[in-house]
Amino acid sequence: MTKETEYAIEVDKLTKRYGDLLAVNDISFTVSKGEVFALLGPNGAGKTTAVEIIDTIRKPTSGKVTLLGMDVTKKKHNIIPRIGVLPQGFSSFDRITVKETLQYYSRLFRCKSTDIRGLIDLVNLKDKTKEQYKNLSGGLKQRLGIAVALVNDPEVVFLDEPTTGLDPRARREVWDVLKGLKKKGKTIFLTTHYMEEAELLADTVAIMAKGQILAMGSTGELIESNANYLVVTLKAADDKIFRIAQKMDFAPVNDIHGNIQVRLAHMDDVRNILNAIEEGGGSFNGLDVSKPNLEEVFLKITDETLREVTGDERGG
Amino acid sequence: MNLRVVNANIIVNIKSFYREKTVVFFRIAFPVILILVFGTIFMERDNEIFDLDIQDLSQTKSSAELVKAIGLSERFKINLVAPAINAKQFAKDNGRNLVLVIPKGFESLLMQEMVQKDRHSPIILTELYDPSSFGLTTKMGVLKIVLAGINQEMSGKPPFIVSKGTSILKKKYRFIEFFVPGIIAMAVMTASLFGAVNVNAELRQKGVLRKLSTTPITRTDWILSNVLYQFILAVLSTIVMLLVSYAVFNVSLAINGWLVVFVALDVFAFVGLGMILTRVAKEAESAAAAADALMFPMMFLSGTFFPVEMMPEFLQKFAKVLPLYYVNEGLRASMVSLDHMAALRHAAVIGVFAAVVFVLGIMITNLGEESK
Repeated sequence: MTKETEYAIEVDKLTKRYGDLLAVNDISFTVSKGEVFALLGPNGAGKTTAVEIIDTIRKPTSGKVTLLGMDVTKKKHNIIPRIGVLPQGFSSFDRITVKETLQYYSRLFRCKSTDIRGLIDLVNLKDKTKEQYKNLSGGLKQRLGIAVALVNDPEVVFLDEPTTGLDPRARREVWDVLKGLKKKGKTIFLTTHYMEEAELLADTVAIMAKGQILAMGSTGELIESNANYLVVTLKAADDKIFRIAQKMDFAPVNDIHGNIQVRLAHMDDVRNILNAIEEGGGSFNGLDVSKPNLEEVFLKITDETLREVTGDERGG
Repeated sequence: MNLRVVNANIIVNIKSFYREKTVVFFRIAFPVILILVFGTIFMERDNEIFDLDIQDLSQTKSSAELVKAIGLSERFKINLVAPAINAKQFAKDNGRNLVLVIPKGFESLLMQEMVQKDRHSPIILTELYDPSSFGLTTKMGVLKIVLAGINQEMSGKPPFIVSKGTSILKKKYRFIEFFVPGIIAMAVMTASLFGAVNVNAELRQKGVLRKLSTTPITRTDWILSNVLYQFILAVLSTIVMLLVSYAVFNVSLAINGWLVVFVALDVFAFVGLGMILTRVAKEAESAAAAADALMFPMMFLSGTFFPVEMMPEFLQKFAKVLPLYYVNEGLRASMVSLDHMAALRHAAVIGVFAAVVFVLGIMITNLGEESK
């Protein structure tokens, strides 16, 4: 029986082991209906294993996953008609055309009225309907994969690294498609290792490394709670500025362009350092004050985890 | 099981097939080429006339009559070697495997033998032969039979004992008619086994099966659609093979319901086996290698190209555990000897095998999760 819930996905203490390898380590989270959720992590973080358990391809070692109110290990056949999946490295039958591929998957889902033309328009493949799969570029294949994931008009769409291996233009084309889905109110579960992608598309981002979820929230929340500082960049700054910043107990760093970057907690600190530079006779050609982005948060969190893991391994 | 899903898979497979021209060639044309090549070879063997070099050192009327008598047997095309030539060197230089030498004084020796009442020392004709030559034994055997016939004739007495052949078959058959059912069985087996292994291993490796595991298609739908698709191609390929055999070799084979039954069982058995191999082998390459390892002994030991009775006894016993043997024998029983009881027995054996591997194939096939 389907349990009515505000969550499309509920993951509770999910663990997956392959022999000695702990691919997913006791993760828990929820995804609300209509939400775009991004699982962000480096290669080998366990993202694909996690998403493949949630979308019914794999079975968990322990823990519980509820999808649309149903246990994924017990109600696979009830769940499948209501979800759409773009697996990692999507591939299809080489000699079958774009239109035929969509018709084929529509028949598998026993759909009586799939809007094939609408799907082709959505993923912008109108000029390629008679093209065989093997003749499509990487970006076009991914767009077809997304259309295939939508043939059954699913309530939840899983997209496992939808833009990996694509050139920047193709990646943006896929993003446009995903933005269209978001507008339609679909629940989207996305895995990616592109910060920009997660930042642009996701309502909630979970950062995953070594099989664990290290941080979760909206992009703003993640930055606020993990990197709550300002980055001041002094362009073409002289050495005096470096010494002044050090004297003020900040930790200046030289970047490769000859600029000096200083992390500051408050706007008052910006005023103070600028006054000190003026008084000390330091010179610079420009100033940039910015909040850190998701990439900085990601690197900070995953670096700390990797350092901890390496330290633990050495210690024990 | 959902027929709409099975139908969708068959359509995709057929479209993929006819759009891949090399696959079409190997599937349809290759067995036809085998039939044409082997059929031509065996047609020659059915009416084989051997080349025979004869050196007549006697150069008499009697020796000339002997040469003529050998020629009249219609089993030899005779080439006379001049008496002055060294016959052994002639055979070596010209790659001849047998030269028959009629000795000097043949006529006088013959006269002596004929007037003596109590004959005990026959005239020796020398056979110079190359023992490494293929088919020599048959040629020498035929020559001995022909000479025995001439001896009999010359004795002037009717033979004491003669044998008279009665075919156990209703019609006179040529080797090609035994060969075609074997090629049908083999072609269907190789296409079904390799079709299942190659297509499934490739789709698994590319991740298509993983995608399919997120759709409502079941293992039974998937395997059944594979079997039906292979059956359609097997029927098509069998029709082409039979048409070519009728048109080129004017074969006389009975076409009946058993043909469809054996082709279907052949497909079921070997697609099922292919599914098992694809699942058991981790990589596409090892699945193909395992298919090769199973297929080649079956091709050569199941009586496809030559009768199982020609093999040593232990190999004959081994042949009877090979599933293809029962398809070969079953097809021959139904198409050549018209022995329906034998066809039924063979169909029962291959039917049980097909059912077991098909069910096993369904049980172990997993479209989704693979171990890491």
